Amino acid sequence: MFGFHYRLERKTIGLVLGIIGVASIGGLVEIAPLFTIHQTVEDAPDMRVYTPLELAGRNIYIREGCYACHSQMIRTLRDEVERYGPYSLAVESKYDHPMLWGSKRTGPDLARLGEKYSDDWHVAHMINPRAVVPESVMPSYAFLQRTELRTDDLSDHLKAQRKVGVPYTDDMIANAAADAYGQAAPDSPAADGVTKRYGKATTVRAFDGKPTDLTEMDALVAYLQILGRLTDAAHKPVATAEKKP
Amino acid sequence: MTITHDLLVWFSKSFGLFYLIGLSLIVVVYAYWPANQKPFNAAAQAILHDDDDKPYRG
Amino acid sequence: MVAELTKNERQGALVILLALAVTGLAMAAGGRGDPFGIHGAMVLVAAIVGIFAVIGGYYAPEPSPERLDSYYDSPTKFGIVAAMVWAVAGMAVGDWVAWLLAYPEWTFDAAWASFGRLRPVHTSGVIFGFGGNALIATSFYVMQRTSRARLPDQLTPWFVLFGYNLFCVIAATGYLMGVTQSKEYAEPEWYADIWLVIVWVTYFVLYLRTLNRRKEPHIYVSNWYYLAFILVVAMLHIVNNLAVPISWGSAKSYSLFSGVQDAMTEWWYGHNAVAFFLTSGFLGMMYYYMPKRAGRPIYSYRMSIISFWGITFFYMWAGSHHLHYTALPQWVQSLGMTFSVMLLVPSWVSAGNALMTLNGAWHKVRDDAVLRFMMVAAVFYGLSTFEGSFMAIRPVNSLSHYTDWTVGHVHAGALGWVAMITFGAIYASVPWLWKRNGMYSAKLVEAHFWLSLAGTIIYVFAMWNSGIIQGLMWRTYNESGTLAYSFVDSLVAMHPYYIARAIGGAFFLLGAIIGLYNIWMTIRTASQDQAAQNVADRPVTEPAIGAPALQPGE
Repeated sequence: MFGFHYRLERKTIGLVLGIIGVASIGGLVEIAPLFTIHQTVEDAPDMRVYTPLELAGRNIYIREGCYACHSQMIRTLRDEVERYGPYSLAVESKYDHPMLWGSKRTGPDLARLGEKYSDDWHVAHMINPRAVVPESVMPSYAFLQRTELRTDDLSDHLKAQRKVGVPYTDDMIANAAADAYGQAAPDSPAADGVTKRYGKATTVRAFDGKPTDLTEMDALVAYLQILGRLTDAAHKPVATAEKKP
Repeated sequence: MTITHDLLVWFSKSFGLFYLIGLSLIVVVYAYWPANQKPFNAAAQAILHDDDDKPYRG
Repeated sequence: MVAELTKNERQGALVILLALAVTGLAMAAGGRGDPFGIHGAMVLVAAIVGIFAVIGGYYAPEPSPERLDSYYDSPTKFGIVAAMVWAVAGMAVGDWVAWLLAYPEWTFDAAWASFGRLRPVHTSGVIFGFGGNALIATSFYVMQRTSRARLPDQLTPWFVLFGYNLFCVIAATGYLMGVTQSKEYAEPEWYADIWLVIVWVTYFVLYLRTLNRRKEPHIYVSNWYYLAFILVVAMLHIVNNLAVPISWGSAKSYSLFSGVQDAMTEWWYGHNAVAFFLTSGFLGMMYYYMPKRAGRPIYSYRMSIISFWGITFFYMWAGSHHLHYTALPQWVQSLGMTFSVMLLVPSWVSAGNALMTLNGAWHKVRDDAVLRFMMVAAVFYGLSTFEGSFMAIRPVNSLSHYTDWTVGHVHAGALGWVAMITFGAIYASVPWLWKRNGMYSAKLVEAHFWLSLAGTIIYVFAMWNSGIIQGLMWRTYNESGTLAYSFVDSLVAMHPYYIARAIGGAFFLLGAIIGLYNIWMTIRTASQDQAAQNVADRPVTEPAIGAPALQPGE
């Protein structure tokens, strides 16, 4: 009886190992080389990280499931480049944990949305999409304007981001909440810290039109306005080298 | 360092083909191995004839 | 249910539930002001309810040793009912969001009611709630029968089922509160993912323990498919969900991967979730229930083995076809495309094998709606795998990607194949499990079948049309060499198809509601009518099926 059961177990374990072996190889072969891809892909030295406010906006974008209807990946096809702008490069989403390339365009691609429309347009569009685009099927996000942005855990967010490989400095982590406030309050003393830490090109504006209070609308619009603008690698002709396999 | 990436890519591109052929062979040989025919047929029939619907107790 | 557990198992259940209650309490305390805390409270409440249930039945007499002479089917019964409840809930949300795309004002300015938050409730509800419960329930049934062995104990299967449903509830309620990782079909956050790993490993071990008690050396092929489903889903789930939480008191985490690596990992997961959750598991279901219901063995057992290894092997390479023309290196795209096309071979071998099994039993297919469910499922499996391979070809994908065509393709598979084979298997096993001669109403099964088929066809044709029109409008140029249509033009063109799709979905939903009602009535009449027990103590083979109602030709 022992021998019989031993044989049975061996057979089951053989099947299990067979399945694991056969199933894992395809993924390994395709994914493993991607982790050395930085060796061939041109780096973007001008690339900056998301500010705390933009990161908070990105998290709202994730929370509301925007990626279900909007892609952030312009393919290397003529009509896409003409409709949306230069095609997306791998380096542009290297700080995106996780990526938001999307898989469906119920609405248009947003990879190059940044600074295409004014802040006012975005706010009006979020409050009632059909007020600006009558045919739109997007839900209203008016509640963002009424909801105060949570900033007390932003330092934790930046710390976790650093753990997964985004180069936030100690200074950035310590001042995350203040920087989030400062980026949406241009005349406040906190605004200077934002440009000091994230660069002169960082947009400091009252995104939702009200510099006094920091809302989720501020964060989301700040994020939408930086889309495609963390680096201008895609706009340089040399960047096309990356597409060669 | 560039070699590492190229090497991995080369391996990925070439390996799949040989692996594919090898695995297909093994699976077909296993499925058509004459000695395996009896348990296969028995297994295909067995599910139709468990009329007593009771576990085996040995 | 507690009465079926031995004393030791009751104690074990209490220990598990206490540990769960403590975990829930810690989560609720640590996550105040965060959805994490609300989920902690929910876990706590669930554990307390469980503790009361176990204590309430604690002093009931122990089950008699004679129980070991029969299979342990109570978990399967629970799983089947849970699957049908999730089906109705998940499909209802799905149809609702389909209407939202036609009438976007119906969000009523409530965050939780917007499309973006409800959509994952639909996808997780039907894939994990409906599909997952159906797979677990039928796998318990099939592994016991094909091994001729009873489940090794009474507690583990309940842990797997309740634990799994707790995961599903945490996932769905999380989406409504905005808790999501944004990884498609892997949206639940880190703590839900960890819990699922625990449940899943238990499930896997339970499967192996049962298999090792089997009578025959040969493992029936259904078990291979179920086992691949369990194993590979575990592998995919763990790798794709690797993430760093921002704190132990927060629901939010950041994925370990970023950018192109994350995209490849996500679609390696996403496509293989289709392969091993929605294909392999359901093929296991098909290879048991279809021969059983038709009263004929599988047409070619060898082919079922060859296609098993083919599917296990090919699918893993195919994920990158979700990323054609993107920033993913082109060689990976080409590899994905090649393997996707080759995948057609094992897929069609499986579909052909299923249809050939029915060859010679077409009169049964004509008369028996349950077998017809399975037949149509095999046809849709063949169709959607062909479509999938076709859409993975780069130039085709350049048109189809990002459009409703993908949505149509997914639903051809999900409604036509996955749901239909599940309904077939459930309708077959309900009378067997509850010892009845047949379903409460054969006419309602018939109605469910036609509603499902009509709904699927309306849905899929609407999405094919809208997807192809959309894809063509986006790439059409006018004479002056500029793009002919704005994005909004294409959106306006979708409107009628979105309405048609929602109507098709409503048909399908109505069918599922009828199915749930029919199953419920079968169970109720079963408990009133114990006399039927001696008649149907064995699986119902051909004479008993639809015989009373359905033979006008004879």
